[in-house]
Amino acid sequence: MSSGPRILIVDDEERFRTTLRKHLTVAGMEADTAGSGEDALQQIRGKTYDVVLLDVKMPEMDGLEALARIKKIDPQVEVIMLTGHACLDVAVEIMKLGGYEYLLKPCPLDDLMAKIDAAYERKLMRHGKRSRTDAAQS
Amino acid sequence: MRMLPRWHGGQSTQPATAKMLDVMRHRSYFQYRLVLLYLAPLLNLLLAVGLLMRGQILFAATASLLALACFGCNRRLAHLVEIANAQKYALDQQLLQSQKLAAVGELSSGIAHEINNPLAIIGQEAEWMQYLLKDRGKKIQEWQEELKDSSQQIVKQIDRCREITHKLLDFARKKEPIIQRAEINKLLEDMVKLVEKEAVQKGIILVRSYDETVPAILTDPPLIRQVVLNLLNNALYAVGTDGTITVSTFAEQDGWVVIEIKDTGCGIPQEHLRKIFDPFFTTKPVGKGTGLGLSICHGIVARLGGRINVESKTGEGTTFFVRFPLGREKEVSSNVLRT
Repeated sequence: MSSGPRILIVDDEERFRTTLRKHLTVAGMEADTAGSGEDALQQIRGKTYDVVLLDVKMPEMDGLEALARIKKIDPQVEVIMLTGHACLDVAVEIMKLGGYEYLLKPCPLDDLMAKIDAAYERKLMRHGKRSRTDAAQS
Repeated sequence: MRMLPRWHGGQSTQPATAKMLDVMRHRSYFQYRLVLLYLAPLLNLLLAVGLLMRGQILFAATASLLALACFGCNRRLAHLVEIANAQKYALDQQLLQSQKLAAVGELSSGIAHEINNPLAIIGQEAEWMQYLLKDRGKKIQEWQEELKDSSQQIVKQIDRCREITHKLLDFARKKEPIIQRAEINKLLEDMVKLVEKEAVQKGIILVRSYDETVPAILTDPPLIRQVVLNLLNNALYAVGTDGTITVSTFAEQDGWVVIEIKDTGCGIPQEHLRKIFDPFFTTKPVGKGTGLGLSICHGIVARLGGRINVESKTGEGTTFFVRFPLGREKEVSSNVLRT
């Protein structure tokens, strides 16, 4: 079992989430996927995640609504929003709802990994653990 | 005569002040202006002359002053109206410009979203291929299937981008319509036959209700076929299985021929109705629709001098009305030249 961060990838593009999951797994993370906001909420109710990668534009429940509901279920989880088009209003709304970061697709994998690392560090620091080593030891 | 619903694709956005100032364009405005500015002071002046000839100097002087005051005030009023007119023109231009910018902004964000999603997948697949190939030269046989799968996915996503850009080009390209005399019932029936097989397979009943007295119209038949096929496809999608699609034609007394496509499908929620003709607006899942079909239909119908209307109720179904003018030959030709 992986000792890295637990990630949930939420995107309606099936291929996007499966390939990203492969990338995260080989990078030592534990990654699950969800195809809709509702599916994501169910998974978050049943398991604790460190970082959620959440698509903004999805049918039925959009990313902003999903973000608000995820934060109600688990206020500690860090959420990185992914979107196909940048929009200031959406970015402001994400920050208001407690989102950690807002990334524009297509995003280079290195950048995404760096953001996930930073989000994970933040979650650890909030819990009083200074580094991943502390987290692994505990 | 049948009443058609409100046209969701083209509501007026003119501000109330601009509408109010429209009276200035009216012919009667110039008539009133003529009376107020010139005739009223002239009559006052004539009265003053008459009074002067009768030796009533005081009254004559008062009438003259009134004439002058009347002329001065009316001239000022006319000047203010002209300023208001110029301001209205400037406001109209600003409104038009901001509407254009809003439309471009909406279109750009739609394109960005539709193209960036496949690009994100292409990027990920390419990086995955790089990962597989990195220091794994000797074991390439083991990774061959995955490499093949990733490269196929890249081709698939490029096709998706290509479909979007080609549809956009079609949308933007103003193909000049070739106007021919067309029997609307025949055009409709050709398209109904095309989708009939699929409808039967899905248990959907296709009902024809053509008005045989509908006269021939002057239009571009392939463009109308494109519109009808798109609407029939949407109806099939909305019904899914086991429902009814009714295709009708009728003529209106005020010189329009109407094609009506009614389905008993899922219907369109009220909040989506005003967006359905917007480019890239779709409620279909990823890869099932680009959201350009209805906006292309709207563009085609407008270019042919017609209108497209919709009425819908969630859970009950949707009806599209496509209206084309009967039009005399000259009118249709001049309409085409303008497009």
